[in-house]
Amino acid sequence: MAVEIVMPRLGWTMESGSVAEWIKKDGDLVRPGEILFTVETDKVAQEVEAMDGGILRLAPGTAAVPGTEVPVGTVLAYLLAEGEAAPFAQASAAPARLSADQPPRSVAFDVPVADAAANGYRAPAASPRARRVASELGVDWTTLAGSGATGRIVERDVRAAAAQALAARARVTPLARRAAALAGVDVEELAAKLPGRRITRSDVQSAGGQDHAAPLAPVADGAPEGAGRRRPMGRARRVIAARMAESAHSVAAVTLTTEADATELAVLRERIKRGLAGSGRPVPSYTDLLARLVALALLEHPWMNASLDGEAIVEHDAVHIGIAVDTEHGLLVPVVHDAHRKSVQAIATESAGLIERARSGKAASGDLGGSTFTITNLGMYEIDAFTPIINLPECAILGIGRIVARQVVTDEAAGTVAIRKMLTLSLSFDHRVVDGGPAARFLQQVKRWVEQPYAWLTA
Amino acid sequence: MRDLTFTVAAREALAEEMARDPAVFVMGEGIGARGGNWATTTGLYDQYGPWRLRDTPIAERGFTGLCTGAALVGGRPVVDFMFLDFLLDAMGELINQTAKFQYMSGGRLKMPIVLRGTIGVGHASATHHSGNYYPMLSHVPGLRVVVPTTPGDAKGLLKTAIRCDDPVFFLEHKSLLGLKGPVLDGDYTIPFGQARIAREGSQASVVAIGWMVHQTLAACEELAKEGLSIEVIDPRTLSPLDIGTILASVHKTGRLLVVDEDYSPYGAGAEIAAQVVAQGFDDLDAPVMRLNGVFAPVPYSPPLEAAMVPTVGSIARAIRDLLAE
Repeated sequence: MAVEIVMPRLGWTMESGSVAEWIKKDGDLVRPGEILFTVETDKVAQEVEAMDGGILRLAPGTAAVPGTEVPVGTVLAYLLAEGEAAPFAQASAAPARLSADQPPRSVAFDVPVADAAANGYRAPAASPRARRVASELGVDWTTLAGSGATGRIVERDVRAAAAQALAARARVTPLARRAAALAGVDVEELAAKLPGRRITRSDVQSAGGQDHAAPLAPVADGAPEGAGRRRPMGRARRVIAARMAESAHSVAAVTLTTEADATELAVLRERIKRGLAGSGRPVPSYTDLLARLVALALLEHPWMNASLDGEAIVEHDAVHIGIAVDTEHGLLVPVVHDAHRKSVQAIATESAGLIERARSGKAASGDLGGSTFTITNLGMYEIDAFTPIINLPECAILGIGRIVARQVVTDEAAGTVAIRKMLTLSLSFDHRVVDGGPAARFLQQVKRWVEQPYAWLTA
Repeated sequence: MRDLTFTVAAREALAEEMARDPAVFVMGEGIGARGGNWATTTGLYDQYGPWRLRDTPIAERGFTGLCTGAALVGGRPVVDFMFLDFLLDAMGELINQTAKFQYMSGGRLKMPIVLRGTIGVGHASATHHSGNYYPMLSHVPGLRVVVPTTPGDAKGLLKTAIRCDDPVFFLEHKSLLGLKGPVLDGDYTIPFGQARIAREGSQASVVAIGWMVHQTLAACEELAKEGLSIEVIDPRTLSPLDIGTILASVHKTGRLLVVDEDYSPYGAGAEIAAQVVAQGFDDLDAPVMRLNGVFAPVPYSPPLEAAMVPTVGSIARAIRDLLAE
């Protein structure tokens, strides 16, 4: 429903006023309580706020033009729902139903009223009761001729049509209908050839050409056909299902993706790897490097290291990074606690143990849960961007894509390109907790640090 | 069961209530030794004397205020306006005090007062003695408005009115006063907000008010000869209104006409039509129609007066038009 915005009465004696200025413009989205426009009267200049929300559409003509003096109550604009047409945009060429040659009614209207047709009055073609009965009987009333005084379709018209349709309908046994459907026989056509009798399965079989000896087994509605296996969900699967569904249903999830040049990060990792050769200590994975990087970035962007607790947003001091791990029992998320205080090497050693225990089904109770931010890496499966589901109660999750060599423009002016190792990052965040801008700034920080790893390694 | 006139049946109710409860008394012009202009109190003065049948000067605002005060402190006054038109002189007292006292006292005070008077066009009573006023009164929160149409209902509804702790208007159409009908013996009451199906039918519903119930029944009798089956509903009380009975009838018939001698603008028919459209829209097979008196002051001239209000003929015609919709 379009909401009218009218020239308000700002005092007992105010007869007219003019818009001084529109604070909101034509087409703006207006929320209740926002200032719409200011009014000038002979006594006051006052702000008028919106009592409703919607898209502002100024009325045509001069009423809404600042400086035009209009009487109190004059429509200045409308607030519309999205996609709703403004009342003045709708064609109002209603047929003039109340014509002069109509016989006078026995029931007169005593109150002087304006010509109803001129006011856009449009007679319904069917009475409400006729429509109701039509829907009950499955009759399409739009094709009927009405017998009411003005050609209106009334209940008796609908009932007559229904009775006619019933009489015209072929009499076919339910079994014959099913047999006909299976054999591809048109029962209505068959009935037309065999007038005046009930069509049975034998009629269908003799007419259908191909006989179906197979029993007519009932098929469950909507179930996919064909063989398959059915297995109950295990406990782990049920937990995953419940958590995923809760997240998908309750979170206002938005995913941002960006591409980072990971060439330097790859060089760094190669050097660490070479340095560790023969030491027996685990080589940090890209996930480990990103766990440390993200932990430091979260210290600078604490609103991403947050969770929703009822009506409050809790920003956590410590950063506990969850690492999504694919196991044969399903998804597990072991947690590197206090990742912001640990070196890359410490994280690598810890995560190697966590992942090994998770995969072998021996995760300790302290291994799982309590994370404040989660990383999920699908790069090894040649995935670039994806939309990870937020691990509640966290407010964001970072998806790591593959690192792949691509041709990249290095100097647009000089027209030079180079082959660089590119990494796609996908950040899903909960828009209830954090807005797009802050989330994007966080992702930009992560991207920059991926591109310049020494900047944070030395931090 | 006896056949009594409307007036006698209502007077019987008053007499029985006065005998039952010493707090019941009557105040008005000529209701003492004279027995009331409409014989509303005939014989009661001899029995109860001037304290309980209190003649008043021509001062409606004064005695309406007196009775409002009496009701506040435990009396059960019956204000007899003779012609209801005279109520207009007491309107300020009535709407601002009588109707609002219970509300203003947070329900601690009661207002058991009955206000009665004759209504209706007819009998060359001229414009100052022919008003109906029930739409106006039904518009005021705090008032109950009773419009009985038979002697039996008059007795049962007047008893309910006198026993009610709210202000009740008991309106008697002048054309009904001499009407005879069956009245049950002894004590009985009829609850407010319960309409009466005056005639059962299947093709259209007619809600008729007051004297129009009888005119409509006569019209339906004529239409029945043509095989038309019309249901007639007598709401009996307009406030509260038994919209449920009306909706059930419209559900059955799909068509509704409101026959009301009073003016149509902002009237009882408008209210009934609006409620039926809002709650019974999908039952309607035709627009809700109204048949009302002419929107003008009532003339004195009997031929002009007769042309003012719906008649058996015009009601039958309106029903035929409704069926053709």
